Amino acid sequence: MSATVKVTVDGRTIEVPAGTLITDAAREAEVHVPIFCAHSKLPPLGACRICVVEVGMPKLGPGRLPVTGADGAPEIAWLPKVQTGCTTTVADGMHVRTDSAVAVKARKGVMEFLLVNHPLDCPVCDEGGECQLQDLAFAFGADFSRMADAKRTFVSEDLGPIVKKEANRCIVCMRCVRYCDEMMGDDALTAHQRGVLTEISSFNRQPLECEQCGNCIEVCPVGALTALPYRFKARPWDLRQHITVCPYCPAGCSVRLGVRGMEILRARGTEFRGVNQEYLCVRGRFGYEFVSSPDRLSSPLLRLGGSLAPAGFDEAVTYAAARLRDIAAAHGPQAIAFLGGDKLNLEEQYLFQKLARGVLGTSNVDARTRATARLPGDAILRATGAGRPSLTLDQLSRAGEALVLGDDLQGEAPYVQSLLILGQHQNGLHLTVAHPRRVKLARSKFGGEWLALKPGSELTLVNALTAASLEAGVPAGVPAEVGAALASLASALGSPEAGARETGISADDLRRAAKRLCAADQKAIVFGRAYTEHPQAAALVQAIENLGWASGALTAKRASVMFVGPQHDSQGALDMGLTPDRLPGYVDPADAAARRPFEQQWGAALDLSPGLSAPEILEAAAEGRVKALWIVADEWVKSAPDRARIERALERCELVIVNDLFLTATAKRAHVVFAAASFAEKEGVAVNCERRLQRSARAISPRRGARPDGEIFQAVARGLGATWSYRTPEDVFREIARLTPGYQGLSWAQLLPLGPQWTSPAPLAGPRIAPAIAPAAAEAGDGLWMLSGGTLFLQGSLSYRGAQLPKLAGEARARLHPDQAQRLGIGDGDTVEIAGSGGSVTLAATLDDAVPAGSVFVPYAFRECDLNRLGAPAGAGLRVRVRKTAAALVGA
Amino acid sequence: MRGPLLFSDIDTPGLASLEGYRRGGGYATLAAVVGKKPADECIEIVKQSGLRGRGGAGFPTGLKWSFVPKNSPRARYIVCNADESEPGTFKDRELMEKNPHLLIEGMVLAGYAIGSNTGYIYLRGEFEYIQRILDRAIDETRAAGLSGANVAGSGFRFDLHTHLGAGAYICGEETALLSSLEGFRGQPRLKPPFPAVEGLYACPTLVNNVETLMNVPHILNHGAAWFRQWGTEKSPGTKILSVSGPVKRPGNYEVPLGMPLSQLIDDLCGGMRDGMKVKAVIPGGSSVPLLPASLLDTGLDFESMNAAGTFLGSGGVIVIDEGTCMVDALWNITRFYEHESCGKCTPCREGTYWMSEVLRRLEHGEGRADDLDLLADLADNILGKSFCALGDAAAMPVQGALLHFRDEFEHHVTHRSCLVNRRRDGLSVVRPCEQAHA
Repeated sequence: MSATVKVTVDGRTIEVPAGTLITDAAREAEVHVPIFCAHSKLPPLGACRICVVEVGMPKLGPGRLPVTGADGAPEIAWLPKVQTGCTTTVADGMHVRTDSAVAVKARKGVMEFLLVNHPLDCPVCDEGGECQLQDLAFAFGADFSRMADAKRTFVSEDLGPIVKKEANRCIVCMRCVRYCDEMMGDDALTAHQRGVLTEISSFNRQPLECEQCGNCIEVCPVGALTALPYRFKARPWDLRQHITVCPYCPAGCSVRLGVRGMEILRARGTEFRGVNQEYLCVRGRFGYEFVSSPDRLSSPLLRLGGSLAPAGFDEAVTYAAARLRDIAAAHGPQAIAFLGGDKLNLEEQYLFQKLARGVLGTSNVDARTRATARLPGDAILRATGAGRPSLTLDQLSRAGEALVLGDDLQGEAPYVQSLLILGQHQNGLHLTVAHPRRVKLARSKFGGEWLALKPGSELTLVNALTAASLEAGVPAGVPAEVGAALASLASALGSPEAGARETGISADDLRRAAKRLCAADQKAIVFGRAYTEHPQAAALVQAIENLGWASGALTAKRASVMFVGPQHDSQGALDMGLTPDRLPGYVDPADAAARRPFEQQWGAALDLSPGLSAPEILEAAAEGRVKALWIVADEWVKSAPDRARIERALERCELVIVNDLFLTATAKRAHVVFAAASFAEKEGVAVNCERRLQRSARAISPRRGARPDGEIFQAVARGLGATWSYRTPEDVFREIARLTPGYQGLSWAQLLPLGPQWTSPAPLAGPRIAPAIAPAAAEAGDGLWMLSGGTLFLQGSLSYRGAQLPKLAGEARARLHPDQAQRLGIGDGDTVEIAGSGGSVTLAATLDDAVPAGSVFVPYAFRECDLNRLGAPAGAGLRVRVRKTAAALVGA
Repeated sequence: MRGPLLFSDIDTPGLASLEGYRRGGGYATLAAVVGKKPADECIEIVKQSGLRGRGGAGFPTGLKWSFVPKNSPRARYIVCNADESEPGTFKDRELMEKNPHLLIEGMVLAGYAIGSNTGYIYLRGEFEYIQRILDRAIDETRAAGLSGANVAGSGFRFDLHTHLGAGAYICGEETALLSSLEGFRGQPRLKPPFPAVEGLYACPTLVNNVETLMNVPHILNHGAAWFRQWGTEKSPGTKILSVSGPVKRPGNYEVPLGMPLSQLIDDLCGGMRDGMKVKAVIPGGSSVPLLPASLLDTGLDFESMNAAGTFLGSGGVIVIDEGTCMVDALWNITRFYEHESCGKCTPCREGTYWMSEVLRRLEHGEGRADDLDLLADLADNILGKSFCALGDAAAMPVQGALLHFRDEFEHHVTHRSCLVNRRRDGLSVVRPCEQAHA
């Protein structure tokens, strides 16, 4: 079969790939074939029949020659029945008619049937104005109704706090049911009854037990499923639509904000736009609410005479600049440290470190505030292919084998999880999930392999997988020096059997997992904060690089290892040098030639010595060696690994500057607080986990008194004597694109509608293969492993400022295996105290057999639960003691 | 002897037991064929016999068998469609009730021919008692080594299971049947891929009707030429017809294909009861267009019926007498399809509802002048646009009734009374046919 075929749609002949559906071919030919049940992420169904068209092939005469008519045109043998365009693939020479009498009558007939039982309540329907049924009835329907009989009716239902169902409006296209199954893996919706009484609901007509993502609402072509939080709030034509990048996880979904006046009323995906198209997770859909929180800061604050008081912006800038200058003069620039920034836009990240390095002269810059150990600034770069062309999210869903290391993607990157589920359902993707807990992707319904490693044996697991991969030899396609290094690595790592003992996973399972990964043509390794914030992060990320080369996920040409960072722009923070040892573009400050463009542009000689990493800054500040901190968009009091130490650090510092939207616990301890603008109030670029640059639009103007972080940095830089004069983020981006390896040649204009993934013509770092052996064996001792991780409904300090997410999240719970709980005498709902080396937290317990015995799981995103009070994890993780306490004491 | 082939011994006492079945020569074919005759040859014989599917579509059985890929690495399945839910059809019920072993022998032979080791008999929900009969018979064969791990000592494995549906007409449609068998909602699936290529659990699957499979042992035993002694060139063999309506002797009749419909009604069924006259006959279950009395000489074979504008279908012959109001009858049929529409596709789901509403109005004397055109247009908008044949099945009776009996419908509209009822009792009432219901 040839790769492309010629097809004629309504007289227009086009060439499309073989296997294209008629509906897609028609779109190419700019002929509108309407669809309802078809959806780009779902396999063909052919249920609604609105896409019926006439299909024919040229008549063949003797010798299989086309028969031509009197006018010389080939005669077409039209099929006797109309065909559905959404299920029929084109064939070479096929003719399609959408405008013939037969096709028009068939389509009108279907449209009329769709409206038979559809109520005429468009004026009070949330979908009215953006309803596909309304639009298509207008385009293809009759201008009168022949339906004079009673319509069948249903009672409407609230399916939980998010989804409102008006079944009367349903046209039974099954998109919601199928999307929930194929994409979300939730099967929360089903059809009840049959025929004209078919009604979509949950299985037991109880509130939906699902991720509450609301994608069923999004894919509903009519107003049958609407969002309760948005219900009756606006008419769609009253809303301005602005496409921004979601401020939560690193998938980088495009979020279309619907804005009326200064108020954001809803967030939606956009079909055919962004990496996610229509998809949003629950955080993307409802997480914008913090933008309009009444608790937002409305002016900068200054600590003058003991307490924080509102101040003018210029006053705050002058004060901050003066104090920074004084401290730098008195103690040297290395007494100043800049923290946070992976929630900033790329341009702001660049300016933040430029301010630190180029203006103040300190290289104590680190965005990875949760880190518990120093991780080289280019470690993740090397593990993900050093700027080689890398896996896209789309390719991830088409991989044959995906290995997910350590992260619960449901909490860390829900869209990445959905793509893996989609791939499993539609593309034959096989999942291997290495996680101590049975996370969603490890459930048996997804047909994958769950490597249920013992907590603390993460490094052993990755090494064992590498060792098992190397048993089949060095993969093809690796550079020569890598091949040699891998051969010696194999002997250093030993056999998978050793790993089997420590991880609790059989050597056979390890070998099978490694074999699947090595054998797959298209493969992917996904890792994230579970490893980069691990006390053994440096060894773990090195081990992942080893595994990448050993399994063929990294080759000289391509990289199939994906880093799913903790925040939406964590990748940008790494790229922009918000690490103490790398300049933007991973330039080593010790490399004079590479450093020179920055020195020239910044007009400053750079400090060549690597600065302090976040955990080191924490220690230095607590010891009084670092005197000034600038913390940006980070609730460091809660995110720093050690609560006691961060409290001491903030107390001892002479100057703490905080940029935030809210008066957070960190801001309350600051000397200067800048009121910052939210993601929706500024424009800029974010880099997602596939290293794709995406431009986010400004949806509303900043809250009165708040400024985009970039403006704050520029003002302080000018206060310090720098001559910065960036008028727009684009100005900054131009400078970034000029200086930064990997970003060179990119322009602001090419970032819309879907920006490119940055790649480097030459790898930005050489491969490094080194045995990564745990420095110390996991201390046994008594107590349980403290497991933490992301959770679906909350992420970061912004997420609990809205109404919906905290409501959905409920309260923090300590999850224990039923057997473990029984041994500890703890029942479901009992209040427990978790005590670590640094202190304790008290919360309610829930029994959960997804959590392994010997451990306790508490998600870290809950507002009221500060896990850093337990003390900093060390070695292979954090050990805690759990005991039942009297319930009455909670919150008292 | 009630018929030449399948009914030749159907009323023999004890036939349902293995012993009784064997007494008449049962399982001799199985013993002679399985492991002894090449599978391809079996398919070829069935092809030569010209046997066509008895479930309604009349697709050549041998050809269907040959579509099942021989070299597929996946398991192959054979599924017997015993969902018999076409209104007016009740042949499979009697066949399975009285001669379960013939079906089992047929399935084992079919399984052998296509290389399948697993068979399912999908029974309609109401056939629970038949499931018990079949299960008992299957147990007997397993104990006797005629099914199970080693069929008749040949080394061929064939396991047979019965499955009871949950009561949906659509599950007689082969892909919906497979969905239901897999545990999903009983709704038809896209074709292609056809079940022969991707059927049960996405594996190659052969789906055959009960009567079709029951013909197989006879064909493999006696050969294709023997089978062709009955029937016509293109429709060889016999067919069991289930006659209902006011004939003197309703019931199942096995006749050679091609026998004129009038011969079936007048001779075999003894003609009409109580001096009634035939007004129309639905020859192949409620899904097919009806034949007016003027076409009663049409032969009961696939081709003749097609030429007369209808189908032989599943052989459910419904005789309608002159005292029956066609509006009422059609409303009844349409309500059935409305009730049984699975709801997957728009034309069938909404169209059957709407047609049923219009017919309700007509029947109650509330019809409007343009309702007949509306009805015809609705049927046209369903026909050929629905996902599966259920929509067509709902549309065709409407078209047939309007074509042949339009005057009755018009009378309901213009006189708000029933042409038929008035003739019978001389009364004109607002709701003309209610009395007939009472």
